[in-house]
Amino acid sequence: MFWKMIFGALTRQRGKPLMIAFAVGLGVSLATAMLNVMFDVGDKVNQELKTYGANLIVAPRGLAAFNDLYDLTEDEGRTEQSARPEQFLNEADILKIKMIFWAHNIVDFAPYLDTRVLAGGEAITMTGAWFDRHLDLPSGETVDTGMNRMKSWWEVQGSFARDESLREVMVGTELAKRMRLAVGDSFTLAAPDGRDLGQVRVCGIFHSGGEEDGRVFAPLALAQEIAGQPGKVQRVEVSALTTPENELARRAAQNPNSLSAMEWETWYCTCYISSVAYQIEEALPEARVKTVLQVAQSEGAILQKTQLLMLLLTLLSLICSALAISNLVTANVMERSAEVGLLKAVGAHTGAVILLIMTEILLSAFVGAVGGYCMGLGFAQLIGRTVFGSFVTAKALVIPIVAVLVLLVTLIGSLPAMRMLFLLRPTEVLHGK
Amino acid sequence: MPPKTLKTKNKTFLFRMLAMSLVRRRSRMAVALVGIAIGATVLLGMVSISYDIPRQMSLEFRSYGANMVFVSAAGAQVALADAEQARKLLPAEQLVGMTPFRYLNIRHNRVPYTAVGTDFAAVQKTSPYWQVSGEWPKGPNEVLAGADAAEYARLKPGMELAIDGVNSKGSRFRGKIRVSGVVKTGGKEDGFFFMALPDMEKLTGESGVADVIELSLSAAEADLKQLAGAVHETVPSLEARLVRRVTQSEAAVLGKLKMLVTLVTGIVLVLTMICVATTMMTVVMERRYEIGLKKALGAGSRAIAREFLAEGLVLGLAGGLLGGVCGLLFAQLISVEVFARTVSLRLNFIPVTVLVSALVTMTACFWPVRRAMRVDPAVVLRGE
Repeated sequence: MFWKMIFGALTRQRGKPLMIAFAVGLGVSLATAMLNVMFDVGDKVNQELKTYGANLIVAPRGLAAFNDLYDLTEDEGRTEQSARPEQFLNEADILKIKMIFWAHNIVDFAPYLDTRVLAGGEAITMTGAWFDRHLDLPSGETVDTGMNRMKSWWEVQGSFARDESLREVMVGTELAKRMRLAVGDSFTLAAPDGRDLGQVRVCGIFHSGGEEDGRVFAPLALAQEIAGQPGKVQRVEVSALTTPENELARRAAQNPNSLSAMEWETWYCTCYISSVAYQIEEALPEARVKTVLQVAQSEGAILQKTQLLMLLLTLLSLICSALAISNLVTANVMERSAEVGLLKAVGAHTGAVILLIMTEILLSAFVGAVGGYCMGLGFAQLIGRTVFGSFVTAKALVIPIVAVLVLLVTLIGSLPAMRMLFLLRPTEVLHGK
Repeated sequence: MPPKTLKTKNKTFLFRMLAMSLVRRRSRMAVALVGIAIGATVLLGMVSISYDIPRQMSLEFRSYGANMVFVSAAGAQVALADAEQARKLLPAEQLVGMTPFRYLNIRHNRVPYTAVGTDFAAVQKTSPYWQVSGEWPKGPNEVLAGADAAEYARLKPGMELAIDGVNSKGSRFRGKIRVSGVVKTGGKEDGFFFMALPDMEKLTGESGVADVIELSLSAAEADLKQLAGAVHETVPSLEARLVRRVTQSEAAVLGKLKMLVTLVTGIVLVLTMICVATTMMTVVMERRYEIGLKKALGAGSRAIAREFLAEGLVLGLAGGLLGGVCGLLFAQLISVEVFARTVSLRLNFIPVTVLVSALVTMTACFWPVRRAMRVDPAVVLRGE
């Protein structure tokens, strides 16, 4: 009898259950879309923030990093040559960076080697780098990486240099202006001691807005040949996806040995920038890994802000959809006072009536929720595609959240209406008051 | 004039009906009002936030440091007086900070180092990512040592060291500095010593110049380009350059964030408006009986439609106003919570919100009323 009545109610008065299903569907689609986007926005924005370039620099242990600054002062020709011995990393070892615990989070990396050359009688810095290198890892994976992907802010006229061509270089705008070079021109290089190194062709002129604009960028092999350091690199820039730092990460960055075993485990297995740096140092014992705070810190700040913003907006839309659903359920139940009055008049208990109506509402809410979930996934993909150009991963966690939300909201939303049904007097309603 | 009296009578009747309907059916009207107010809250809240996001986020992105530098157009040093003159060209409310840097070669124990003269208060604004262990310099001749330099020279906060060097005119200078803290950035700053510019001027006996001046402006790339052009035009000795790494990347990421918030706002708004419309429809639909009765009593379709629309208008205006106020509070709450700054309130959004609410409500009423009017009164009154 009960189910027969439910079935009757659902089929006979098509409009009203449909309305509830529709309202719940709208609310659920909003909640689903927002929750899915919120859970994924961190990863997506993190990916976008990679345009700021490397957040880790791998340099040989010792003083190589310190030599960097003399490179700068040498450019300005104001210091006496530093007498410190230069140190290098092996190019062959760099692959190990992609084999650490958090290898998957290493987005790109590129090694560099600076050397001095003479061009047109002027001493300039030539930086050798990987531009677009295809690597086969011992693990069987393949990786495409290099500088092209890491210097997204470079404005390049012509093209990036190619790793395999040893006669093509890129020239910074300032240097190109000084030497009157255009894309396609050739010029002669000489070693600092005057040895002739032959002609190279300018395949691209870049504008970076930094000190690189006064340099020549060449394939790593060419720079190694000129420097007389085959198979060596000076530093590696690494761009890694990391989680914003917290108290634990800050303590670990100071001294990883100060952590308890449990904390150490947590730290090591969380993708903090300090733990990634630590793992690279483990893989390359002769290297020291420095965190580029300008990138790493700002990244954390912006990620946190974005996530918090999305969280609040999501909460807001959840509250709104909850209010909207409960509002509609209330309106819907109120409207049925005549029917309830009749049921009461023919002897139904209030409990039975409420059970009947609630089942009916929950059934239509369920149908609406399923439809709304699918629609919400669609909205989330729409946002992911248009904004980030990639799909938003549908998190399974969203389903229970939405289910609980719908159940609670429908029940709570019906409360005022239920109260009304309790107080309802059949005679009055049926009389048409 | 009989027609006019009739019209006035009609009008008073309409008002009375309206008032009665609103007062007597309190609970139902409350439901509708809440629905509309929620819609208006979301509308105003989301629009205010998405309107304010670019400004707020752009300020957050300043944590990446300087996005414009002044260098000398002639390739020499920059006169601080010129930089001051150029600063006046920049909009004060967009300027986060302006920091001079002057490089000087010094020696300690015959080992060469680079000392950088700067303004510590300004550095903390333009480069908020500097990590200092120990203290920022306060007293005279106090310096920050870069982490690598400190490691190499085995320096700790509190240590004093004697330095010497040659100024640009070739005369030798000597001095004593005290390390108040060690700065770490992971960049080339780690190899430098930082001292206050006045200290450096006293040391070398040369004042009023810097090698580069870094500026942090919360402005879009196009505006920065324009400002850079204006600076070079007014102060020809200066060349303003954009730090492409920061400006380009910011433009890219900020563009995405803006799009994200706009899209989310759009979807939320559409869904909320549909919700408001559905609530109104339910509320009106339930009154088919009443419409039937009115028709039976001889009311014209137009009169009924007018009454319902007027009711919708009143509800829409009231709900819109209520929601508008809640929406402002709501936008403020989010802005303070996320960015720790107040939202720039746009009071002219309130009338727009009220108008949109009224429009949506009236449109939502219109459809069910029209459907109800097509029904034969006799059928409705008999109870279907």
